[in-house]
Amino acid sequence: MANVRVAVDVGGTFTDVCIFDDETQRMRVTKVPSTPSDPMLAVMNGVKRAEINLADVSLFSHGTTVATNALITRNFPSAAMVTTRGFRDVIEIRDGTKDDLWDAYNDVSGPYIRRRDRFEVTERTDFAGQPVTPLDEVDARRVAALLRKRGVKTIAVCFLNSYANPEHEIRMRKILEEEIPEATVTTSAEILPEIFEHDRFNTAVSNAVLAPLVSGYVNRLADELKNGGYRGDLLLLHSGGGSMTPRMVKRYPVRLAASGIAAGAIAAKHIAQQCGYDNAVGLDMGGTSTDIALVSGGELRITKEWQVEYGHPIVFPSIEVLTIGAGGGSLAHIDIAGSLRNGPQSAGADPGPACYDGGGDQPTNTDANIALNRLGSTLAGGAKTLQRSLALEAIHRVIAEPLGMADAEAAHAVLQVANANMADAVRLISIRRGYDPRDFALIAFGGAGALHGAEVARELDIPTVVVPPNPGVTSALGCLLVDIRHDLSAMYTALASAADAEDLEARFVELETEATARLRHEGVSEENSVLQRTISMRYHGQWRSLAVPIGSGRGSLQDAIATFHQEHEREFAFRQDDQPVEIYQLALSAVGKTPKPSFVPARTLVKDPGDPATHRQVYFGKDGWIDTPVYDRGRLPAGATFIGPAIIDQLDSTTVVPPHTRAEIDEWLNIRIHLTNVGTEQEQAND
Amino acid sequence: MTDTAIAQQSGTSGANHTSHHGARALQGLDPVTFEVLKNAFATSVDLMSEQILRTCYSFVIYSRDFSSALCDADGNTVMQGSGDIAVHVGTLHFQCKAVLEEFGKDIHPNDVFAINDPYRGGTHFNDVSFIRPIFSEGEIIAFAQNKGHWADIGGNVPGSFDVNAKEHFGEGLRITPVRIWSKGVFLHDVAQLLVSNTRAPQQAMGDLHAQSEATAVCEREILRLVDKYSKQTVVAAMQETQDYVERIVRRRLVTLPQGTWETTDYIDFDPGKGEGLVPIKIKLTLDGEGIHYDLNDCAPAVATFLNSGYGTTFSAIYAGTKTFFPDIPLNSGFYAAVKADIGPEGTVVNAGWPFAVTGFCSGPYEKLMNGIFELWSQIMPERAMACAFNLEYLLVGGRDKRTESSPYFMWYDWMAGGWGGRASKDGAGASAPVFGPGLAVQPVEGQERLSPVLTTMHQIATDSGGPGRFRGGVGIEKGGMLTDATDTVMSYCCDRARSITWGIEGGLPSIPHGVWINKGTEDEKFLGSNFSSVPLESGDTFTRPSAGGGGFGDPLERLLGEVLDDVIDGYVSIGRAEADYGVVITEIDAELDEFEIDVPASEALRARIRSQRRGWLTEDAAAVAARYRSGETDMLDVIRRHGVILDWGSGELYPKTTVQFRALMERRSASHWK
Repeated sequence: MANVRVAVDVGGTFTDVCIFDDETQRMRVTKVPSTPSDPMLAVMNGVKRAEINLADVSLFSHGTTVATNALITRNFPSAAMVTTRGFRDVIEIRDGTKDDLWDAYNDVSGPYIRRRDRFEVTERTDFAGQPVTPLDEVDARRVAALLRKRGVKTIAVCFLNSYANPEHEIRMRKILEEEIPEATVTTSAEILPEIFEHDRFNTAVSNAVLAPLVSGYVNRLADELKNGGYRGDLLLLHSGGGSMTPRMVKRYPVRLAASGIAAGAIAAKHIAQQCGYDNAVGLDMGGTSTDIALVSGGELRITKEWQVEYGHPIVFPSIEVLTIGAGGGSLAHIDIAGSLRNGPQSAGADPGPACYDGGGDQPTNTDANIALNRLGSTLAGGAKTLQRSLALEAIHRVIAEPLGMADAEAAHAVLQVANANMADAVRLISIRRGYDPRDFALIAFGGAGALHGAEVARELDIPTVVVPPNPGVTSALGCLLVDIRHDLSAMYTALASAADAEDLEARFVELETEATARLRHEGVSEENSVLQRTISMRYHGQWRSLAVPIGSGRGSLQDAIATFHQEHEREFAFRQDDQPVEIYQLALSAVGKTPKPSFVPARTLVKDPGDPATHRQVYFGKDGWIDTPVYDRGRLPAGATFIGPAIIDQLDSTTVVPPHTRAEIDEWLNIRIHLTNVGTEQEQAND
Repeated sequence: MTDTAIAQQSGTSGANHTSHHGARALQGLDPVTFEVLKNAFATSVDLMSEQILRTCYSFVIYSRDFSSALCDADGNTVMQGSGDIAVHVGTLHFQCKAVLEEFGKDIHPNDVFAINDPYRGGTHFNDVSFIRPIFSEGEIIAFAQNKGHWADIGGNVPGSFDVNAKEHFGEGLRITPVRIWSKGVFLHDVAQLLVSNTRAPQQAMGDLHAQSEATAVCEREILRLVDKYSKQTVVAAMQETQDYVERIVRRRLVTLPQGTWETTDYIDFDPGKGEGLVPIKIKLTLDGEGIHYDLNDCAPAVATFLNSGYGTTFSAIYAGTKTFFPDIPLNSGFYAAVKADIGPEGTVVNAGWPFAVTGFCSGPYEKLMNGIFELWSQIMPERAMACAFNLEYLLVGGRDKRTESSPYFMWYDWMAGGWGGRASKDGAGASAPVFGPGLAVQPVEGQERLSPVLTTMHQIATDSGGPGRFRGGVGIEKGGMLTDATDTVMSYCCDRARSITWGIEGGLPSIPHGVWINKGTEDEKFLGSNFSSVPLESGDTFTRPSAGGGGFGDPLERLLGEVLDDVIDGYVSIGRAEADYGVVITEIDAELDEFEIDVPASEALRARIRSQRRGWLTEDAAAVAARYRSGETDMLDVIRRHGVILDWGSGELYPKTTVQFRALMERRSASHWK
């Protein structure tokens, strides 16, 4: 009886397995150490540890960092690029810019395919798709023979203006397939039929270098699961927030490049939805960094400006996640001019925070948290013991003494700066899109999110913080919740006033035909398919465009234009109704709905949280040291309500409920912290 | 030092307080509030940049030629954008102060001002600033400013880069401080006057709105901070943010040597004076207190537009210095610690009204930046860097005949190139100019849609990096063909066809800049690195390289394996591996990247070069020129071995230039050879 759903999220340190039992409607979680040399080992270890019978599994989904790591380490099989004569260096010249504008010793990383592995053939197509120079077949065969001789396994074919006419690329692919049948060939216009050679070429090159590796990994895992008795499709989480089957991974492996990051964002969206918040900020704070994602109107923000490393864009729609160098291990220090700084340098896993007793003597956020007794002296249910005295010593020596502060005051200052930095990052990602963070809820998770969430929210005037039941393994939950999703696009440049509605419709229908074929290929039935059209527009003369949804009937273009003006005003605070609007691009998302676990709410009859497990003195800034109850999260019933301060301990995380706030355990066993000032006039007014 | 820092920070005792701390304690600025506000100022400015990038009309702004700043009530810069173009650094406070001087008390809430005046500390006419006062309780507390490069600002040539201009009158529209919004009311007539003086009024109007709206984003953020922390605290933090930066610079100086350092870099020539390099002489003094530059010995203003006004000269000084203090935020505190005496008006670095200054970016700016790099390379040898390629703009403008309406087109192109070799690694190749390491080159596919120019090549130029123990980064070659156009002219704004991108510590020069027309045909012509309005016809081709960076250290000491790798990747040819590095490489099977280094032959060759190279540098220049004309000696040998400078088209010798170039090669290269 297939009645269990399994999601596996592979992280740098741990591989998390999330199991949802359809019968009992309960979720459980297992953590095993990751195995970077072969990530599949950890996946299968996790399955074994969780005592999952694969024959019982109805859906197995997986978020993986295999693709991301391969790109960072440049660990690829022998790959080559074939391009238009005169344009061998497009992926090396890039747009020429540097990430670090001022440090002349800090360089952009090199291209994914080295110059020696890039080859030119004689051919040229112009901007309108007209061949200027035909593909020289002799030259093409020469290059193909050369690549065969070099033992190349995977090839990217990238011709100039192929977005306007892909004929030469298609012909080149054919020749390569004839000459080297065993090689994988990616063509740029097939991967991304969009203008701008560097974006398109690099996306195709990324796809090519990942192809053998990623699809090899995915197929091995799928076979392993099948041998274990799993009868469904392995679903791989992709950057766009959906998933795909191994059959599609073979063609579009590059879509897995942000697989790992997407899971947390999807989980944040799910939790927001569950709690009834249309707008939410996901704050996923780990040891070295924090990932911030934005849910607005119930949807995650999607971006096409995405890259694993600066200068090497992967232009597929990806969930917009802002990663900043602030985590539990971020180092606090006083700079040369006497200012208190926090991060982005991190103590990492080695030596780690001072309190880990691993040789680190510089204070981190974790040290500040333990110094203030917010964090207890054991982690992971006693698996790790923390040395508070070492934390205090580091804070005293590096921060308190130089600033002439008491130790607690100094530790608190460290946390305040960390929280303000995170708040600034949230501000950047929200305000730049025209959103006011005060209209949002904050979903705090990751190992350290629940320690900082309430104070970050206060910094932003966000009224509510939600801490999900298993903050440390929330990303795996995200994997459980994804649909199959494909994103397609087509260039379409015309003034909106002059656009031919029938032609526009025909282009969308073309995209829909392709999208439907892909979904069928993955076994999605028609009734489970949802197609959504979007159209990118801009004021004539502008460089960037805004994507807005568009329907299919008469007048849909007019409606979309109206939406465009509105969105431009919302995002940038101005609109120009007298300015002609230009269509830039058409896009289609094709979603194949997969059945979701149905979580059942708990009954929330009890208000009383019960007796705390213990009390300890915790420091809360101007409120000073307070004797604070410490609750065991596992024993807090749904419906429990209490006033801060409180500390809530659990295996994978610690939640801080500051003074003057109210916490409740909701029907989904989330902790919701309401930041209204309890007992003050303000709260009475708000209530 | 740390002790002083502590005393200034602590709020516990009055004994050691400096004036900084006094003010801060008074304003109740604890360390946390200060750090939070300092970072929030940066966010407020970055938000402004983010918005302009998403709403702009000018493709030059889109390519990141813009900047944003928060200035205080006196016009001093509190925070400049972290992604701003280098060349605007240290000019935004001048523009803000110009508005204050012009309007004084007559500044009101919801006013917006525009200015582009290079004679009031601006850059060039294309860079238009929008400045919005931020009021709290009826009083100005700050200004938000956004400056962006408009694609055209009128004048004689499309794109407003007229190389032949000697005075500014034909260059474009000069905007002295002017009000565009008055108390929230859009002054349509004034805006119309500005945009109507450009070739693309509709675009310009779009940018005018987009830039002005961007400043409103910063205003909202600052007012939010005022709400949260109080006006008094925010104002105090704006001052403290400047004092903080000044303090960092001064404290770093304590660990650095004191003394005076000098160097000279050159502009190719002054058409008013014939051949001969034009000196830009920089003196730097560190006295433990501050950083002092002296530019009193620079040449008089030149008879082209390659002059610099005081704003951009200061910008070069600040940006060049900042390269050696990359982590320090940019604001007026930095400008307080870095002082310069730029000499009287009328020089190439302090041109003044009405000298043409639009080409400052290819002229004095790059010379000052690279000269400053060279000076600091001696002070911080671990961050040393040889000369980078020169900023270059190629403009082709005319009528596009691909459509019946034959619209005006403007193909306005700039390239990436190579930066100098460094103390521990090769120079960065194919990178944006020092003028703006964030200035993106445009996609060819975008250019081809917009203009009847077919790009025939855009690739790394083999042998373009200056040889050295650490090679200069590689430059690029870009070629094009005019396909279907009429009434078309081409102009070029660059330099360093003669004052060639140089190496240091024994490293060698890279390659000259300059445009060729119809290269490889009977009509082949070398147009040099600065020309205006050369007519072009459909079917004409043109090509030009961007230089690589200069080399660092003696190329004969480069590791053999590194030279081999360069050959496999085609960064260096087998021929130049021998000529420049003395490394003999034989090809086994190039198709499989199989090459072999002949070690004994290489050792012998290196010994021979070592014994002869000083002689090559003093060989009769006229004889070298003759051998170039007859094809016996190639261009790279003429430059790298003989230090001789010619007209690269005709082979005509520039005797005076050669004497100057050989002197600088002696100093930067030969004197370091063992």
